[in-house]
Amino acid sequence: MKGQGGLETGDPVIVAEQVRHSYDGRRFALDGVSFTVARGEVFGLLGRNGAGKSTLIKAMTTLIQPTSGRLRVLGHDPRHDGRKIRERIGVVQQGESFEFTTVEGNLDLYGFLWKVPRAERRRRAELLIERFGLGEFRRRRSFDISGGQKRRVQVAREFMHDMDILFLDEPTIGLDVLMRRVLLDSIRAEVRRGLTVVFTTHNLEEADYLCDRVAVIDEGRLLAMDTVANLKRLYSGKKTVDLSVGAADAPRFFAALQGALGPAATITVSGSESVLLVDDPKEALSVIVQLAQRLGVQIEWLTVRQNTLEDVFLRSIDPGRESRGGA
Amino acid sequence: MAAPNLARLIYRNVRVNTDPASLVILLGLPAMYLVFFGFGFQSLASAGGGGSYLAFLAPGIMAFQAVMAGTVGGSMLWADRRWGMLAQLLVGPFTRTEYLFGIMLTSLLFGLGGAAVMLVLAVALLGTATVGVAGGLAIFGVIALGSIFFGSLMLFISALVKSNNAYNSIQILLLFFVNFASTVFYPFSSRLPYALQVLFSVNPLTYIADTARNGYQGHLTATNGYEMIVLAAETIVFLFLATQAYLRSDVSME
Repeated sequence: MKGQGGLETGDPVIVAEQVRHSYDGRRFALDGVSFTVARGEVFGLLGRNGAGKSTLIKAMTTLIQPTSGRLRVLGHDPRHDGRKIRERIGVVQQGESFEFTTVEGNLDLYGFLWKVPRAERRRRAELLIERFGLGEFRRRRSFDISGGQKRRVQVAREFMHDMDILFLDEPTIGLDVLMRRVLLDSIRAEVRRGLTVVFTTHNLEEADYLCDRVAVIDEGRLLAMDTVANLKRLYSGKKTVDLSVGAADAPRFFAALQGALGPAATITVSGSESVLLVDDPKEALSVIVQLAQRLGVQIEWLTVRQNTLEDVFLRSIDPGRESRGGA
Repeated sequence: MAAPNLARLIYRNVRVNTDPASLVILLGLPAMYLVFFGFGFQSLASAGGGGSYLAFLAPGIMAFQAVMAGTVGGSMLWADRRWGMLAQLLVGPFTRTEYLFGIMLTSLLFGLGGAAVMLVLAVALLGTATVGVAGGLAIFGVIALGSIFFGSLMLFISALVKSNNAYNSIQILLLFFVNFASTVFYPFSSRLPYALQVLFSVNPLTYIADTARNGYQGHLTATNGYEMIVLAAETIVFLFLATQAYLRSDVSME
């Protein structure tokens, strides 16, 4: 499938090589970031507040220029060909942005700024008003609507124009569950038509739902990058066992359990609850039950589950976490 | 065919700044000055043996539109930074320079439009029009220059200031000094305290009001030509300063 720029699905549309950026000349908000994003891909950036996600988005959308390194977006260098890039991207920024006019006025004016013909603006505005549930407040001024409604307008507005890459900087902040799903499904539908999406979020379920690949970023560095499934496998061929026992018995039981399972298993204890990472959950369950019977300890609950993206994320930004078991 | 970038930005600026509340400030306030001050102070002028105060004030209020246009320009940048639209436009198909010129040309449009409305109002109130072609060109020429000067000044301030309170305080204080230390409302007098005389002399609004008044009354002099040259030089300096401050400023208030 060819996009507006004549690119094929799978062609790299973003190439970053050792990109660094410093706001103050002392500390690097981006510190040697390298990655590529292919056309038609949904690429997620995960990270804590201040990790460098928004700085990376600003660099790719030409708002700031990298201090060093090589960055190409749609084949163009943001330093020299900023406009050529901006004409083919859409950006939903983290902060709110709106015009002092009505909701439908916001959509129409934004389409006008993007050279969308009047009839097409009307058609798209109606479609987006319907899709994002803006109908009941379409004639209200944007400063008269709630924060969540403003966010819906801000996200919907970006679909008023055509683009090759959509950058979304934590777009679901302030959206309720229903609208969050509407947005994610809208993005999925656009991706099927060839849109490339770069998406930052704190919400790991969203990243899991939407992203083909994710990169974990912290202190300006990429700590991990792969498909969601591979990352989960890479960070653990292990399974997670959640276990809770009576509070009075917890310390001696978990200490004994660490000894019984051996060093290959890690146990993270919080009060009477613990999270175990084990290679063989069947064997671990057997050891836990036998130990509980031998020590006369009541097991309150015991579950085995797959690793989540949250497990991956926490282990990426804090690799020492596993070795601090049995606390 | 789609309009060029600059024209689209100007259309956008006009559309989001012509809500009823903004128009009341932009046109209603100067019109009220003209009506209330024009008739209110007429008795004082008559008691002093002077002519029509309304005829004196009308070109001053036209000149005042240059200041109003400048405040609109500064407020546009301020509001776009505050409400996120500056960053949003700059990740769109526009350059920073286009955005800057979009604001300057919108200020110019507001200045000229406002002056035209005040001219029509003045003619209606006075019942006579004394403006010739040369006078009209001088009036609108100096107001155009003045709109860009005050637009640059307010852009310079709004590019530097980080808080809403600071911006509003500076704007109100500056407007007070600029308006009342000029010849908009009263003529220059050598009996003024020396400090006020200096303020009158260095205030660009004095040049704009003097030229507009002489143009309105058909008494343009060589001094008005010099005043326009000085104003043009000051405008170039402030336009340069505003451009530099704006290009180096953060695009958002984050």
